[in-house]
Amino acid sequence: MKELPVRTEGAFAKRTNPLAHVFDEFVRFCRSHSLFMLHYCTGCGAIELPPAMTSRFDMERLGIQPMVTPRQADILLVTGYVSVKTLKRIILTYEQMPAPKYVIGICSCTVNGGMYWQSYATAKVLADYLPVDLYIAGCMPRPEAVVSGMRKLMGLIKTGKAESWKDYYRRYDHYLGNQQALFGERWQTPTDVLGEAQQYGLHGPETEGEHTALLQQVQQPLIPHRMRLK
Amino acid sequence: MMALIVELVLMPAVAFVVGLAMLLMMRKIAAKIQRRVGPPFFQPLYDVVKFFGKQTQISHGLIHDVGIIVAVGGYIAAETLIPVPGMTGIADRTDVITLIYFLMVPSLGMALAAGQCANPNASIGISRALTAMLAYDIPFVIVIFGMSWMYGTTNLVQMVEYQQAHGWGLFQAPLLAFAGLFALQGMLGKQPFEIYVAPAEIATGPMVEMGGKYLGSLIVMQSFSLYTAGILYTTLFLGGGVTWIDFLVKAFLVVAIPMTIAFQFPRYRAEQMLGSLWKWPVLAGLLGLAVVMWS
Amino acid sequence: MNQGSRELQVWLDDLLAEIEQVEMRRKRERRMRLDVDADALPTLLELLKGKASYVHLSAITCVDWIAEGEFELIYHVWSYETQSLISAHTRIPREPGRYLSVYDLYKPAAFFERDIYEMFGVYFEGSPFMEKFILTEWDGPPPMRKDFDSEAYINQFFNWQEYRPDWLKELEAQGGGIAIPPDEQRYSRRED
Repeated sequence: MKELPVRTEGAFAKRTNPLAHVFDEFVRFCRSHSLFMLHYCTGCGAIELPPAMTSRFDMERLGIQPMVTPRQADILLVTGYVSVKTLKRIILTYEQMPAPKYVIGICSCTVNGGMYWQSYATAKVLADYLPVDLYIAGCMPRPEAVVSGMRKLMGLIKTGKAESWKDYYRRYDHYLGNQQALFGERWQTPTDVLGEAQQYGLHGPETEGEHTALLQQVQQPLIPHRMRLK
Repeated sequence: MMALIVELVLMPAVAFVVGLAMLLMMRKIAAKIQRRVGPPFFQPLYDVVKFFGKQTQISHGLIHDVGIIVAVGGYIAAETLIPVPGMTGIADRTDVITLIYFLMVPSLGMALAAGQCANPNASIGISRALTAMLAYDIPFVIVIFGMSWMYGTTNLVQMVEYQQAHGWGLFQAPLLAFAGLFALQGMLGKQPFEIYVAPAEIATGPMVEMGGKYLGSLIVMQSFSLYTAGILYTTLFLGGGVTWIDFLVKAFLVVAIPMTIAFQFPRYRAEQMLGSLWKWPVLAGLLGLAVVMWS
Repeated sequence: MNQGSRELQVWLDDLLAEIEQVEMRRKRERRMRLDVDADALPTLLELLKGKASYVHLSAITCVDWIAEGEFELIYHVWSYETQSLISAHTRIPREPGRYLSVYDLYKPAAFFERDIYEMFGVYFEGSPFMEKFILTEWDGPPPMRKDFDSEAYINQFFNWQEYRPDWLKELEAQGGGIAIPPDEQRYSRRED
């Protein structure tokens, strides 16, 4: 009997059809080369962004531009210490951004409290409240460090590893629990995160839990402000 | 008939590609003036693909979508009215007056979409944008009237033929050319007449609530507007083009001049913009008109 | 200083030296320190504002003397004519922690009194708006008091980052690492 050749799926065979994921890779490549960062200067680390954007350490050659509203931006840069007041607004901003979105924690204060670790009014670990893709440590990091961090983020996007926005929907109960522990039980945002999780197909076993049940109990419909010209 | 349909599809497609290249040229000029390296060559393509590849589309209703379609559609329709080398579309059956009307449609479409967004920044931006349109349209219409008078026709194809026989419009009516360049600066919405975008003051004005495919469409609209402005000025003053090479060279040159001026100026306020666009280009246009009509 | 303001300064020095409830110390040419009792302070400020041209309230400061059981309130007033600063110090007992507001003398006092109320818990009667504006999400004790242990509070309410993450292992593989371990860094509450 002739020995029939047996073909096994080894580690090197990523896909059988060479054209299978070309479009996804192309879109990821384009996403990584055209990042729009939200120029929302949360703390003192924001002073390192203008040098990174201007002539000396040009970030536009990597395709990164500053944008002013969360609807237009891809990256939320949390630069510097996050006080409890600011954290509320950061979460509101994060939930307004269209997916796929990335969060970069610049400066050491987002890592473990940094210089303000003893303060009663700053949040210590940002990753408890928002999913963070990348940290750029320093106090403040130099523009070269910021650019190097951005390039690392571009590499993560190209290989498909920067999917933390999905983690927000998959483990929303955990994040909401931390947020409620900090802001009180009546904390709510205008965004319907559970509905969005259903929409993207990311509604998992950890999306709902005791904290989302509490949210649904205390949630009230938001009244729009009446605009008056006086 | 078949050729006409092919031309109607091909002209906006060419406009899109050339417009993206003009967008890149704008960013490269800005970078060189500011002594830095600009974006890489395919950057506008990456931007457009990224915007259309966003997985969340936040829409504020049907009118929001319809407004954006009207804004881009106005430019697509305008592309078919300007003759380019090799394709005339429907330019030989209509004239430049229809083109002026079509060029007002995109601003109105953007106003529709921004109005539906119900954001006060967008409303302020749109009111400024329409004020700007009022400002630059007056010198623009004077220029069109003057050139139509000089060429004796409003048909763009015949204007090109006249210029190729008698010399460029630039040399025959220099005052009108100057007024046209001023109005071009306002039409492209570049500094110092960039009040309607104003990124830091009103959070990019009308584009404040648009993300994803809406912003991608607006970038496509901006590339169309650069292209249309460039080739319209070329057709009116620089004699059109016999081949694509010199046509594109002229169009790029025409767009490069306002861009170079733009990145050296700050932004004027709305009333300053009205004042300056109603003073110098209108004076130059009326003088040029007088010269053209009495010679 | 012109002639008029010098006369004013001399007149004020003489007047304050005569009043017994006010203890005066001139620190420098343009700095003077006055110590008064709590019930005499509003009258002193009225004198300074009305007669001695100290019309600008620069700040109100509060110091917590926990060992003596008192709060010290310091009113810094500035005069444009004599170009000098007077700090009027007074002590109030820590336990009720209430005092009178000087809003009808100096309008900016409302802002400083609101701040001190938030941070120290001292209530100023007669001050027009005493809502929170800095610590709007705070419902603990007034944080600037010396018996508020900030570190204990944060250890109770916040988590710390897990201190053996991947990026640290990568750095240690390359030869780097932490120079001082975290337990030796938190020396502020050490018992020695």
